[in-house]
Amino acid sequence: MNRLASYSLQRRLLLAVTVLLSLFLGLTGYVLERAFRNSLETGLSQQLQTQIYVLLAAVDELDGEFYFSENLREPRFGQLNAGLYGFISSPQQGELLRTPSALEFTFPALAAGQGWGQNLTQGETRFGRYQADDADEFFVISYAVTWENRPEAIVFTVLESTQNYQAEVTAFRTSLFSWFVALAVLLVVSQLLLLRWGLSPLRRLATDLKKIESGLAEVLDSNYPVELAAVTHNLNLLIQSERKQQQRYRTTLGDLAHSLKTPLAVIQGEMQACADNNLDTEQRTERLLTVQEQLDRMNQIITYQLQRAVRSSSVGTLASQVDIAVCVTKISRALEKVYADKGVVINQQVKPGLNFLGDERDLMELLGNVLDNACKYGHGRVTISSRVLSVNPPRLELLIEDNGPGVADKDSDRILQRGVRLDSLAQGQGIGLAVVTDIVQSYGGKISMHKAATGGAAVSILLPNFRIQTSA
Amino acid sequence: MRLLVVEDESLLRQHLVLGLQRAGYVVDDAADGKAGLFQALEYDYDAAIIDLGLPEIDGITVIRKLREAGKKYPVLILTARGDWQDKVSGLDAGADDYVVKPFRLEEIQARLNALLRRAAGFASPQLKSGPICLDTSSKRVTVDGKEVDLTAYEYKTLEYLMMHLDQVVSKSELTDHLYAQDYDRDSNVLEVFIRRLRQKLDPDQTLQPIDTVRGQGYRLRTLG
Repeated sequence: MNRLASYSLQRRLLLAVTVLLSLFLGLTGYVLERAFRNSLETGLSQQLQTQIYVLLAAVDELDGEFYFSENLREPRFGQLNAGLYGFISSPQQGELLRTPSALEFTFPALAAGQGWGQNLTQGETRFGRYQADDADEFFVISYAVTWENRPEAIVFTVLESTQNYQAEVTAFRTSLFSWFVALAVLLVVSQLLLLRWGLSPLRRLATDLKKIESGLAEVLDSNYPVELAAVTHNLNLLIQSERKQQQRYRTTLGDLAHSLKTPLAVIQGEMQACADNNLDTEQRTERLLTVQEQLDRMNQIITYQLQRAVRSSSVGTLASQVDIAVCVTKISRALEKVYADKGVVINQQVKPGLNFLGDERDLMELLGNVLDNACKYGHGRVTISSRVLSVNPPRLELLIEDNGPGVADKDSDRILQRGVRLDSLAQGQGIGLAVVTDIVQSYGGKISMHKAATGGAAVSILLPNFRIQTSA
Repeated sequence: MRLLVVEDESLLRQHLVLGLQRAGYVVDDAADGKAGLFQALEYDYDAAIIDLGLPEIDGITVIRKLREAGKKYPVLILTARGDWQDKVSGLDAGADDYVVKPFRLEEIQARLNALLRRAAGFASPQLKSGPICLDTSSKRVTVDGKEVDLTAYEYKTLEYLMMHLDQVVSKSELTDHLYAQDYDRDSNVLEVFIRRLRQKLDPDQTLQPIDTVRGQGYRLRTLG
């Protein structure tokens, strides 16, 4: 079974076609040969019928003896062992007369008492075969007639050797066979060519992929047949997202290394200063505090870059569906626990059946950070609601509002600024919103901040990649 | 207060255990999920600190199992990844709060304090009973606004009693939760602490905050 599964497409198709072809040609050959033999035999029996009439015309009776009253019109009857033999007999008396050609021929069925032809009624013809010995086979035709003053029927029998017939059949078979072989070869060869032509896009795909692998090409070109276009399109997406991911890893790594250098340098300086024995306790504590600050900063940088690195790539790739309301409920339950001291209540007004098309981890990161901020800076009342904006293309708005002090307009721009290099981030500033901005923009969405109706901060997230599930 | 620390990274575990012991907690520790779960089910703790990425049995399973077994003490999770999926699944399994690694010991202490307080039913870091006020974050005790000078053990004893306001706390429960295992259970140290506490909190004998329930233990009353 496994061996079969590993057969190439070409081999499979060729194998199937060959089996079908031989079945089809074999059956056709058999039917044709049968039909040919049948028609040949019918013709032969009609010829022999004519010979019977030839005999009938030439035979006469005198005093109970039969004789040929005139020359037989068929010359082969007069030629010894010509392969065509005629007999006249009666069921009781046996053989009565034979043509000169049959003088040396024995046909034991005609002996007296054998009752040859006794089943025949007047005017009936019977056609059959007779095997004389291993080599010779004959067609036999018998015909019963009523003779003037004789009570029983007189039977006329003609035998003809099957030699000619066999030769004709053999010739027919040979020619049929050679034609069929030629036909089969032609069909298989054309099938092979068709297959090569039909499967050539697949072969091209393989070489194209190899080219991409070795870096000679960027993407698969678009000149593929419709059946393959869907596959190549998805492959292209996969390749692109893979490449983007790689790119991101590279930048992340670069950013990371770069941004870690500054705090490292500071720490090194402080360490050297600490090694100085002349420092008093207060000065030393101060230096240690600086080291701690730098360590915190390094930690923040690493956390931020890690989160960026593991995030999935953006829309268009093979996305999954995540129920937003379910996700919000999960996070709310967790946050209400964490902020139990403050008695935070998260009012969940996201419509059920709204699905986010993308990575669940991304959505959780996004909502988790925004809701966490709302819980942290608000005074215990957080509302998250959803709205579908019917612009083109339609967008989903998620609105997160709290009842805290709110954020000044000039600050909100700074907070949401994207791609702020971490080493330029202000001390103590959280990375949560930077991560959120990153995620939203990677999905082609938008994030903005303004004053909520309640006076607190309101974060609005617009996402293009969503689906509304109608059957709830 | 008796704590359980389950963390596989041995340096970090030692650091945590030492730091928490220094802060006055009695600390048991386990290096993997299996041992951790066994201890979590076997003993009655005041709180547990559990790492999410543990060998043998992962942290989330440990938390779920101990919650299934009816253990109600607060659980603080430690997570290295710090993404929301981790946090949410941990909190969903029954944890009460999280701290992302790396962390400062002060942060762990602050969270623990809050969790212990919350478990005892207090909303603010100040535990109050009448004029007696115990601040869990600064570890200071005042009566009528005047600071009372307590030793570490006296403070721990009072804190435990305040957390279990109006409940009778047996001597063995107190020793279990307040002192390390090698403590001599037969000694009368506890009585000494209680006596000193009574003197320091109520030198005039007007409040009488701590009752002795004969044969059962001690009870700190809610004072009007």
